[in-house]
Amino acid sequence: MSYKIPMGPYHPALEEPYKLDMICEGETVIDAKLSIGFNFRGIEHLAETRNHIQVIALMERVCGICSNIHTLTLCSAMEGLTGLTPPPRAQYIRVIMAELERLHSHVLWAGIAAKLMGFKTMFMTCFELREKVMDVLQAISGNRVNYSMNRIGGVNRDITDPASILKMVEALELEMGRTVIPIFTTSRTARSRCAGVGVLTNEKAVGMGIVGPVARASGVPQDLRRAAPYAAYAEMEFDVPVQPAGDVTARLLVRALEIMESCKILRQALSKLPPGEIATEGEKFAFTTGTATARVEAPRGEVMYSVSWKEGSRNPARVHVRTPTFAVMPAIRWMIKGARLADTPLIQASIDPCYSCTDR
Amino acid sequence: MISLENIPAQLGTTEPWIEKGGVHWLTLGAMNVRQLATAMNGLHARFITITAYQLPKEEGFRLEYHWDLDGQLLGFPFVLQGKSIESIFDLCEAVDWIEREIHEEYSLDFTGREYEPLLLRQGDTTGVNLRDAVAAGSAVAASDAVAASQEKK
Repeated sequence: MSYKIPMGPYHPALEEPYKLDMICEGETVIDAKLSIGFNFRGIEHLAETRNHIQVIALMERVCGICSNIHTLTLCSAMEGLTGLTPPPRAQYIRVIMAELERLHSHVLWAGIAAKLMGFKTMFMTCFELREKVMDVLQAISGNRVNYSMNRIGGVNRDITDPASILKMVEALELEMGRTVIPIFTTSRTARSRCAGVGVLTNEKAVGMGIVGPVARASGVPQDLRRAAPYAAYAEMEFDVPVQPAGDVTARLLVRALEIMESCKILRQALSKLPPGEIATEGEKFAFTTGTATARVEAPRGEVMYSVSWKEGSRNPARVHVRTPTFAVMPAIRWMIKGARLADTPLIQASIDPCYSCTDR
Repeated sequence: MISLENIPAQLGTTEPWIEKGGVHWLTLGAMNVRQLATAMNGLHARFITITAYQLPKEEGFRLEYHWDLDGQLLGFPFVLQGKSIESIFDLCEAVDWIEREIHEEYSLDFTGREYEPLLLRQGDTTGVNLRDAVAAGSAVAASDAVAASQEKK
């Protein structure tokens, strides 16, 4: 006999509100239905009432974890409408901020995943490391969450002492390599909780248009930093980790390896940081009528902004945001079909969902 | 990188790609959105999203469908005369949530599919992003007042 278990919208196993109605038989989940919208703020519509400066501050608040990525994508799209091109130093700083944000996001996720596995000492280790990443972000931007780094035509703050930031990154890389990566890749606790759990097949990942680490953990080798490079990514050497299994272990491995790749990119960007301006200072600009679109590889996958403007208007005519969790979250239904009920919190967490991004 | 050159002919149009604002745009002639989705499946393109625009006055809506083909962003605009368009959900599973979101935000109907509420809760009405509907709300009226005062300055 089947029975229904609701999880959420407010539940200890969920970091943010969403609802999962699961149909179970015994301990096995047969099907599930997802409900979102508990955080719906109408930000896209609100953007139409903001000018080109205010809209950056607004869109930075779509997400509390990848806030920098939202302004990077928005500013890239608005640069397409104004004809401004950020100078090379600004492009490098954008790469540095994006990779630090990826590090912070992946380590935060690793901590939450560890907690859900019942591995609480690992949770504490990950959050200690995350604090160190946050310290680097704060050293650069002066802020810990909304960094206010991006502007149309460049960035707001320079990295005046890349050598000191490089030292912090090297220390981080050492600790990641010594603690997080070996434990997640070799520990029996991690393997026993994650191997073969919450499988998303390659066929399903392709069919559902899944993006980011979840796609790469199902054998889909897509990464916009490689396929459609933006900022200074074309000048960086890095690998795109791909795992074929599609289970929680594969997602864990992809993110663990991406942490090391981010450190690799950071070392290159900090050591090759070109001299010069950080923004197109003093250059007057005006918006032309039209739509510009920009895409960026956020920690959770592809973010896309379409921005429409009418010449002479103070505000955008339309701002549309496609966030990665919006693309990935429907896959939870397929991941938990056939899973044990006790594994569902870990499975839904394994996509590193951001409901704030999803609801916008 | 996959060449886009031969794709217009496969889609039955003689129009060229126009690269603008980071997107390769193609205006389709007689091809409808379902035929487009089938063709994109054949090319193994990845569906990204649909962007809905409410056109000024009573001109209706424009929907822009986006796919990724080997890192290239493709865009196909469709202007709706009425308030409905055929759903491609049965051809492209990735479209599910965005069709539901646009239905709720703009009251557009994607025909040939069933909906379950996505963002809205019981008692809410669709069309939350429609300009005329929202203009009646006090929150946006307040924002308009702020914008008007800025215009005066």
